Amino acid sequence: MADFSPELVKKVKDLWKRYPEKKAALLPAMHLIQQERGGWFSAETIRDTADLFEVPDIHVQGIVGFYDMFHSEPVGRHVVRLCKTLSCKLRGADELRAHIRDAYGVDHGQTTADGAFTFRCFECLGHCTTAPMMLVDEERHENLTVERVDRVLRALR
Amino acid sequence: MIRETRVMLEHAADAAQKTLAGYRKHGGYQALAKALREMKPEDVTEEVLKSGLRGRGGAGFPTGRKWKFVPKTNKKKYIAVNADESEPGTCKDRQIMENDPHQLVEGTLLAAYAIGAGTAYIYVRGEYPHSIRALEDALDEAREAGLVGKDIMGSGFSCDVWVHPGAGAYICGEETALLTSLEGNRGYPRLRPPFPAVEGLWKSPTVVNNVETLACVTHIIRRGASWFSSLGCEGSTGTRLFCISGHVKNPGVYELECGKFTLRELLMDLGGGTPSGRAIKGVLPGGSSMPVFVAADLDVRFDLDSVAKAGSSLGSGAIMVFDESVSAVDVALNISEFYSHESCGQCTPCREGSDWVRLMLDSVRRQEATRSDVGLLLDVLDRIEGNTICALAEAFCWPVRSFVKKFGSEFEAHLKERATA
Repeated sequence: MADFSPELVKKVKDLWKRYPEKKAALLPAMHLIQQERGGWFSAETIRDTADLFEVPDIHVQGIVGFYDMFHSEPVGRHVVRLCKTLSCKLRGADELRAHIRDAYGVDHGQTTADGAFTFRCFECLGHCTTAPMMLVDEERHENLTVERVDRVLRALR
Repeated sequence: MIRETRVMLEHAADAAQKTLAGYRKHGGYQALAKALREMKPEDVTEEVLKSGLRGRGGAGFPTGRKWKFVPKTNKKKYIAVNADESEPGTCKDRQIMENDPHQLVEGTLLAAYAIGAGTAYIYVRGEYPHSIRALEDALDEAREAGLVGKDIMGSGFSCDVWVHPGAGAYICGEETALLTSLEGNRGYPRLRPPFPAVEGLWKSPTVVNNVETLACVTHIIRRGASWFSSLGCEGSTGTRLFCISGHVKNPGVYELECGKFTLRELLMDLGGGTPSGRAIKGVLPGGSSMPVFVAADLDVRFDLDSVAKAGSSLGSGAIMVFDESVSAVDVALNISEFYSHESCGQCTPCREGSDWVRLMLDSVRRQEATRSDVGLLLDVLDRIEGNTICALAEAFCWPVRSFVKKFGSEFEAHLKERATA
């Protein structure tokens, strides 16, 4: 099946059992597929996903474009998501963004020159009472200061 | 001094509460046992109706009434739990999912029993990996113990419950968009009617309820409707989770009985006032999609109906506070950036309008807008509102209009005429 690993195909088949139609498992399956394919959806991965799910390529393409957690371009080894919405802004998210731009040379959507991480400014990540916050892959870092951001990001290099 | 009344968060600090054994120690799954053994499905709905419970996702619709819309048919029925918590300022459902996930599983099963659903999906936003993991662990344990799946507790009632991760789209918290997304599509809202209770997932009757709403159901069935409605006040029964964030000394999630305090008391007693000691300039009392309150509005009694009468809404329980150091134009711009990014693009007034509004606010910030531009901004808002499939348009029209109105002199001071004079 389109060169996906047998483990992944098994997981997708398990997902299919939960819904009356295969297509409904696309979002959970695409998280697994993105992980297996280096963190993003190339044209080939989109085609393979569409084949696996028996939907048109354009349907998968449309989902990649619609949902912020799917990437249509290569990403670094890690993805850093800094929340930019109001509660985080009031607690200094703009300053953190400026610091990351100055100290690591990346702004929203860019990957560091050494490929360590892709930086994205995200809309509300739901940690408003411990703002400002960022997610590094699936790990969260709250009550951020410039020093804390540096400690976390330096460890990614 | 305002005191918390902890019902949903009573055991949230106890690490063992995440496990089935820990949850059971505190009365877990007693409500489900009671419902399955002693109550008919319609009794569960009646009890919820009697409790006065209103939805905690933002709209405040009576939960029991929503359940009653489900037609009596032999068609498959579904529960879709809205755990897409995405309204800026809101981080309350996460407390339940991460710290006491079985409470949600139990409430979901009770709702499923009430309406006769055989499958429930918990749609959790993709940016909540901790919630997803906690719920999956809880469901594994519950399935193993015969609490989820076939013939639950030997009652003959069967219900599967699955976690369904989203992938980063605010609009999927809108109930019809959530359903479209769950079916494996872009999250586009649907025209109503038909309402989801009549025609939802795969055209079958589907009840969409928020996480906190279903957690309340667990306690209503365990302790009774009259116990629940003895908490809070008329129109806002039970307890509610409030997230206080922004410029307060003690940001946090607090569980409170509505109607017992004013917004000012809440921000001073529990919030501790502003960290800088500066005066509070504005408060968004129910998420960023609601009209703003200014310092003069803070003595409103904090319950659904009083806040609505004062011109705003409790919304999703997210209270965001900003002090005098902040530019009201910057706050309005930040809000408009959010909604222009999150518009799904389906309806032209919202897709195009949200960008126009953002650009116009940015020109005010840069002191490049004229007085007639601000007039144009208000005119554009009038043409967007009410002309779209879902309420995302209102979600930016309401706060932006309220900012122009309540901080008029500040917008005035930003005008080009002023800047160049």
